[in-house]
Amino acid sequence: MTIDILARNNVKVLGRGEQPILFAHGFGCDQDMWRYIVPGFEADYRVVLFDHVGSGRSQIQYYDTDKYSDLRGYAQDVNEILDALQLEDAIFVGHSVSSMIGLLASIRDGSRFKRIVMIGASPRYMNDSPDYFGGFDASEIQDLLNMMEMNFIGWASYMAPIAMQNPDRGELAEELERSFCSKDPHIARQFAEVTFLSDCRGELARTPVPSLILQCAEDSIAPIEVGNYLHEHLKNSTFRLMNAKGHYPHLSHPEETTSLIRQYLADA
Amino acid sequence: MELDTQLNHAPCGYFSITAEGLLLRSANQTLLQMLGYESPELADRHVESILSLANRLFFHTYFYPYIQLYGQVKEMYLALRTKDGRDLPVLMNGVRLERGGELFIDCVALEMNKRIEHEKDILRTKTQLEALYQATQEANVRLEQLHAEYEAKQQELLRLNAQLEALASTDPLTGLRNRRFFKDSLAELLAAYAKNGQPFSMLILDIDHFKKINDTYGHPVGDLVLSSLAALLRSASGSADIAARYGGEEFAVLMPGADRASVIGAAERYRAGVEAASWEGLRITISVGAATVSPGDTDETLVNRADQALYASKSGGRNRVTYGETER
Repeated sequence: MTIDILARNNVKVLGRGEQPILFAHGFGCDQDMWRYIVPGFEADYRVVLFDHVGSGRSQIQYYDTDKYSDLRGYAQDVNEILDALQLEDAIFVGHSVSSMIGLLASIRDGSRFKRIVMIGASPRYMNDSPDYFGGFDASEIQDLLNMMEMNFIGWASYMAPIAMQNPDRGELAEELERSFCSKDPHIARQFAEVTFLSDCRGELARTPVPSLILQCAEDSIAPIEVGNYLHEHLKNSTFRLMNAKGHYPHLSHPEETTSLIRQYLADA
Repeated sequence: MELDTQLNHAPCGYFSITAEGLLLRSANQTLLQMLGYESPELADRHVESILSLANRLFFHTYFYPYIQLYGQVKEMYLALRTKDGRDLPVLMNGVRLERGGELFIDCVALEMNKRIEHEKDILRTKTQLEALYQATQEANVRLEQLHAEYEAKQQELLRLNAQLEALASTDPLTGLRNRRFFKDSLAELLAAYAKNGQPFSMLILDIDHFKKINDTYGHPVGDLVLSSLAALLRSASGSADIAARYGGEEFAVLMPGADRASVIGAAERYRAGVEAASWEGLRITISVGAATVSPGDTDETLVNRADQALYASKSGGRNRVTYGETER
């Protein structure tokens, strides 16, 4: 059986330029999060958007618990999308966990990558005392998972074998699906676990292409220590500290985010 | 911006943050009381200062992107961090609005101390139910396994029983039914005759001069004759007939439904068949006594009548059939 990669990952291709630029959303979101950024690239880039399997409007039947128990599963999908579109010298822009997914994809097969742009990236969210500060302790990750449990309708009442028979929740369900960008709370949970328990520190040195690290001021998910660590360990990396505060500069400060990326690409 | 008095003391926490920098621009008195702050303390602080780390993560992952994309958030569960470091569970609604050229996120937070206990109850129950469901599933699987094993054993037992039954009712040398089976069958036929008047006949046949064959040629040859005769009986008898080895060289055949004429016919066929068969140089004949059930018969009287007929065949010169007439 051949899988339609483009349908599986809900791939959208926009823009009027030649140079391909791929935007990869982070945990808890889908490609919609790039909506304020895309207009800044449409005129002179070939913009590629997609959803990770299990997120947004991806085809959920391809969600494989084993494959996606590791960020490499997501990375493989990125390679497959690049192959399917036969993109050459692509620029990969990843937010949060997708920065590492892009990095892993470039290590798997770097032939189609030209640059990687990382927004709010972290090679490891959990602290690894005393030498590494990721920002989170195990108990805080557990708290997050509990928060998700309390917020996901269908999660509290989710008994795996019975859930399929749940009556339609109609519009409310749709809104909730949208707010959590996932049709299946168990997928969201696994993505959360895979994300927040991941450790890509050992891979950084193997990254074959130059990268831009966009570090937000006061990002409590990927704090500045983490950005500095990335810069230290990624060869050919450029570090830019943003005025934008928080973890979603492409939502809070789309202009700054766009111009920093464009500037970096122009200099390259 | 000054809050009006009503909003300031409304029975829910209210606060407003800048959409870009997430800085607290206003908070009503109820919220301050909920969190244990004095009014000016929170001014222009980052929203993260009233969130624990896990809640910051959740806020940034879900609340903020969603409100930036869709303009509002409804019924999101979060925990606010009080001044003394406790988590205060709240239900939050948020809306993104523009005021004076700047975007704000206005939030309402409703304490859910009681509700959260209900929620936790539900979660606990769910966890227990899941465990119970799992245990039940596992028990069911085990039960099904046991049931399957039981079924297999039952089948094996039935098979063994049938085998045992066959062995217990079979004569080992000839493979015919044994005397016990014959007697049981006779009793059944008599009962059916008494109840429904279903007729039947029987015959007893005996190998002529069998003792001489044994004495002359030895038991192995005698046994061979017995089993060959049994085979002949088996092939010549009808499907409903019951052929049995009755004693040493004596055989008996029960013929359900057979009347006088047909039992005599059958007896004659057996007799002629034996006489005509090739016995490797030996001359083997049989004498036959036949009888048909009649009112008042018991197993004893019927067998006796057949036996008497056999005796008559023997004394009449052997290799013949005699029918034991009922007295009228």
